[in-house]
Parts: sequence; structure tokens; C-alpha cells
Amino acid sequence: MMPSGRRGLALLPLLPLLATFACEAPLHGNEYDPVSPAPTLELTAAAGTFRLSDLRDTTVLLYFGYTHCPDVCPTTLTDWAKARRILGDRAAAVRFVFVSVDPARDTPLLARAYARQFDSTFVGVVANEEQLTRLTRDWGVAVFTQGDPRRDDYGIGHPSRTYVIDRRGRLRLNHSPGTTPEQIADDVRRLR
Amino acid sequence: MSAVCGDPSRAIVLLAAGALAVGALACGRAEPPPPTAPTLVVRDAWARSADSGGTTAVYFVLENIGTIADTLRSVGSPLATNAGVHVSMDRRGTMQMVSVRSLPVSGRDSVVFRPLATHVMLTGLRASIGAGDSLSLTLDFTSGTTLAVAVAVRQP
Repeated sequence: MMPSGRRGLALLPLLPLLATFACEAPLHGNEYDPVSPAPTLELTAAAGTFRLSDLRDTTVLLYFGYTHCPDVCPTTLTDWAKARRILGDRAAAVRFVFVSVDPARDTPLLARAYARQFDSTFVGVVANEEQLTRLTRDWGVAVFTQGDPRRDDYGIGHPSRTYVIDRRGRLRLNHSPGTTPEQIADDVRRLR
Repeated sequence: MSAVCGDPSRAIVLLAAGALAVGALACGRAEPPPPTAPTLVVRDAWARSADSGGTTAVYFVLENIGTIADTLRSVGSPLATNAGVHVSMDRRGTMQMVSVRSLPVSGRDSVVFRPLATHVMLTGLRASIGAGDSLSLTLDFTSGTTLAVAVAVRQP
């Protein structure tokens, strides 16, 4: 019978393999396969034009919503703020971008102020009608009005997912509603 | 012969007493039932802070501690131009809100209003609400019950 110390040594060659498996644990979000560059996104911002392509070398979390959204958008941005706090110093290399898809009610200033309510580093921009048409086509998402658009309380059907773009500008995964701040932070840390 | 039959005056007394007893029983039935404790209760009510003219959602637990089912038929708040019950639903990657006209609450059951699910939507806020504020919400049920709820406002 092999002594326990010797048995431990016998497992040593397996360590790299075990480490590989540990590293390849799936991310919490839904991963894109194959990975490809994120679609173009160029929008009106309070301080000029926002271009997604300008955010290379940072991980970007992107959400399409609207400031009159009562439930899902503020819940998502609240979770982002918590995730940012969990990330600590590593959050410096992450941008959280809220894109309003409600040009009828939201302005660049309003979108920026809304995003900053949750965290002062959050970016808030708005798509105008023309940009919205391009956005829905390029990102393959649906945006539509719910209720009477002549009233001020109509809703907007909008993408439910948060898109995660890596430092090389590639669309890597999306997070479903309900992904916890801890899971968001964990994915951002592990994204290579 | 019985004592009643034998003594007419005594019989009259007994009949009167019987009539009084029947009358008392009948009156007992006609009286309204004694007041009971409310069977619908709301707890842990909160809303996110929001600007004047904006929108917010209210979340809480609605509990029916009685045995008789009731139905929430409308909601309102003096703070909001419009109020309604909605459910957030993820339909094939698109988030939508579905309006709920009435919401049954079975006896000994509860309904949880929570983020990403059922919530009360308040639109057209008449004033800004910030953390530490409180707003009032009323819930009307088909039974005629109205609940007045104090909602705590939190940071977004």
C-alpha cells in the first residue's frame, strides 16, 4: 500500500489538468460562440458622440432601456452598482453603459443624469430615431412602444439582456435579468 | 292535566316568556356580526426614489391571513397621476410589461410584489421622492376592503 504522502505526490502531474478544468468553469452569463466583434454603436451623448469602439481596453457592460422604466432598468442598474463595488479597483477597467431607446422622452442630459443616479461613473446615452433603427438592426434586438404613445405613461418593450464586451471589442456574453451582482462581478473578473 | 292547562294565568306567562326567547334569538340573528380583524395585510412595502414627473415601482408582500379569497382590483396613490399593477416578463429576450386587471389572493396565501416580477407602477409623479421619504398607496379589493399602505422610499 502506498503511503499517503507518496499518494499525494502521485497526483502532482494531474494538477495542471485540474487547474485547466477549474479555469474552464462556465461563466454565469450566456456565452457567444463563435465570438465576434460587437456591432457598431454610435449614439448621441450629452458631451458629444458616444462610440462603443472608443472603449477599447476596457470591459463594457451595455444595457438598452429607458428612464421611465419602473422595474427592470433600475433593478439592473442597481445590480451594476453593487457589482462595481464588489469589483473594487478592477472596476476602473470596466465601463457601464446605459442606452436609452426612448428618444421621444429621453434626452442625452436626462439619460446621463439617470445613469449617474446609480453610480457617478455610469455612462448614460440616448439613441435618436435614426440611431435606434440602426441599433435594432445591427444588434438584432426588438424595441417597441407598449400602450398609448400620446400619454406619458407608455412602456417600451426593450432587450432584457445586459451585453458584455471584452477589452478587444468582442461581444462575449449576455446576462439575463436576475443575474446577481456577485455573478456579474465574477464574470467580469474571469473574462479574458 | 298539566299545570299549564290547569292555570291559565301561568300559561300566559310561559307563552310570553317563550315569545320573548324566540324574539331574542331572532334579533340575535339579525344583528351584524361582531367586527373582525382585517384579513388582508401588507408588509415590507418599499419604492425606489424618483424625480418629479418620473416613474417608480412599489414592492411589498400582500398577505391574506383569513380563509376567504379576495381580489385586488385597483391601486392608487395621491403622489402619482396613474397607478397600476404590472408584471415584468422576459419574452424571447425582450422585456415587456403586462398590465394586471385583477389579482386574486387566496385565503391563507400571499402575493409577493418584487423586482423583475409583479409590481405597482406609479407614473407621472407629482413630486420627487428620496430615500427616507414615505408615500401612500391604497389597495382596493372586490370585498370592499381598502388598505392604506405607507411605502418607504429607498435609494435606487
